[in-house]
Amino acid sequence: MNKVCQLAGVALLAAGCAAPEIKKAPVASNDLVEEGKKLISGAAEKDKILWRYRVALVALKAGRFDEARQLLDECLPTVGAILTADERTLKARSLFGNEAHKIYVGEPYEQAMAYFYRGLIYWMDGEPDNARACYKSAQLIDGDAKDKAFASDFVLLDYLDGFVTAKLLGDGSDMLRRARVSAKTNALPDYDRVANVMVFLQFGFGPLKHGGGKYGERLQYHAGHSAVRAASLKIGEQTMQVQAFDDLSFQATTRGGRLMDDILADKGTLKKPLDAIATVAPAVGVVLAGPKETRGAALPLIGAGIAAGAISNSAEAMADTRTWNNLPQHLAFAAFRLPPGPHSITVEFLDGAGKPLPKLSRALTFDVRAGRDTVMLIADQ
Amino acid sequence: MTRANYLTVIAAALLALFVAGCGTTGLNPQGANVTEMKADERGFVAGTGIESQDLVAVADKMARSILATPQIANAQGKPSIVLEPIVNETRFPINKEIFLTRIRVTLSTKAGGKVIFLARDRMDALEKERDLKQTGKVTGGTPNAPVEFKGADFILTGKLQSISTRSNKGSSDYVLYTFQLLDPRTSAILWEDFAEIKKQGQSDAVYR
Repeated sequence: MNKVCQLAGVALLAAGCAAPEIKKAPVASNDLVEEGKKLISGAAEKDKILWRYRVALVALKAGRFDEARQLLDECLPTVGAILTADERTLKARSLFGNEAHKIYVGEPYEQAMAYFYRGLIYWMDGEPDNARACYKSAQLIDGDAKDKAFASDFVLLDYLDGFVTAKLLGDGSDMLRRARVSAKTNALPDYDRVANVMVFLQFGFGPLKHGGGKYGERLQYHAGHSAVRAASLKIGEQTMQVQAFDDLSFQATTRGGRLMDDILADKGTLKKPLDAIATVAPAVGVVLAGPKETRGAALPLIGAGIAAGAISNSAEAMADTRTWNNLPQHLAFAAFRLPPGPHSITVEFLDGAGKPLPKLSRALTFDVRAGRDTVMLIADQ
Repeated sequence: MTRANYLTVIAAALLALFVAGCGTTGLNPQGANVTEMKADERGFVAGTGIESQDLVAVADKMARSILATPQIANAQGKPSIVLEPIVNETRFPINKEIFLTRIRVTLSTKAGGKVIFLARDRMDALEKERDLKQTGKVTGGTPNAPVEFKGADFILTGKLQSISTRSNKGSSDYVLYTFQLLDPRTSAILWEDFAEIKKQGQSDAVYR
């Protein structure tokens, strides 16, 4: 009996030794930018730009402009380059390759937003002409929409292009006119060349991509949403009500299809008959396997079914649904004329009926420096 | 064909599919070694924007043109030039000082001391040093000495403008680089020259 107990003890010990190692969950700090940087370094090369976009916006909203600047500067050379065929793009185009194998640079509205935010930082850094360059690039990126009615139709990008031009003593009236045409309203304020405080606002949650169609081959969007449609700004005695200039869901969904959509549709078209063969051929094969005289044809049919199923399963028609998922739904802008020194701003976000949303209200302080524009980004989220 | 042969064929087909599925998915999986290139060479990472080879070509052309200008070539003494940041009206954010820096350095090395550049972009440091000298905190100064910072004989500046188009056929960017030498006393344009570069390209279908 003793021996039995000893053996049992040894067995338990051995079992204990073989127990899986329990690892502590990684400790995450509350510093979202630092955590984001870890995600960037751990991300696959093809996804790094996506993560940089996301973390750059987190940094920008947290007022960590140096980090946001660096992250966007790491993205834009690739986004702005001519991206020619390489092994990865060929793979993404092939029947057996997934579109998400390509290096992510984002859909045009996402690329435009990367330039938009970089422009904001250039302006903040006292380089309004480089900010304007970013707005021009962002608008141009939207220029190859299939439906020309929606090409280069960001209201705010044209408005800011003209605003900077006016501030640099040029003629921004053409751009203001373009912005008003895109906005379908004349409510956009005239430019104040002497304005020195630029308030950028963003509301809500932007669009998200998903794959539509039988195989997820159609790039589609879940529209973003925002309870906020406008904001009321108060600085000292000055108050201004600002409506949303742009809607990113509108920008994402009005481009009229991509060339890649045709490629994915072709892949889907190829998968359909293969799926049909994979379903029907084995069933017919099994039926034919019964009678002696048709048994010879059964095996090839079953084999063909299996092969068709394997090919269809290996074929990748899914659209790339990687999304810059912390973009806002609406963009807005206001400019003030203020003397140098400390100031405070009160922001009240308003819903579609113009009612304030008190939970989102906030008060901020800022300094106006002489000889340079002060640029702020205020988000409701 | 016997049953065994059928099975062999099917097995081979499945194996081939499996191997195809295991194919590499990497972009340039072996990577690209660091390649040292000349600044005037076109790299393999290219866009339609302003690149180093454009900077070198434009700056060299402007420096040669300035040196040939009569006001510089036949100047009595050494004219002083101040660089004024260029105006960027293109769609490409750039370091605005880099063109003028490249032109200045080319002129300094090729002009054989014919011109002097004034470091107006360093005025803060220069004034601080002058004040230290004038207050006797460091050697080399005289109290209440008259201003010795030189005024400019010429101002060198420029402007970058572009026409950009983008369609489903690709992207095209034309950039016009203009530079001017101004007389700050009369506002006369003493010299002006330009360079122009047009580039176009189209990304792979997966990005369109």
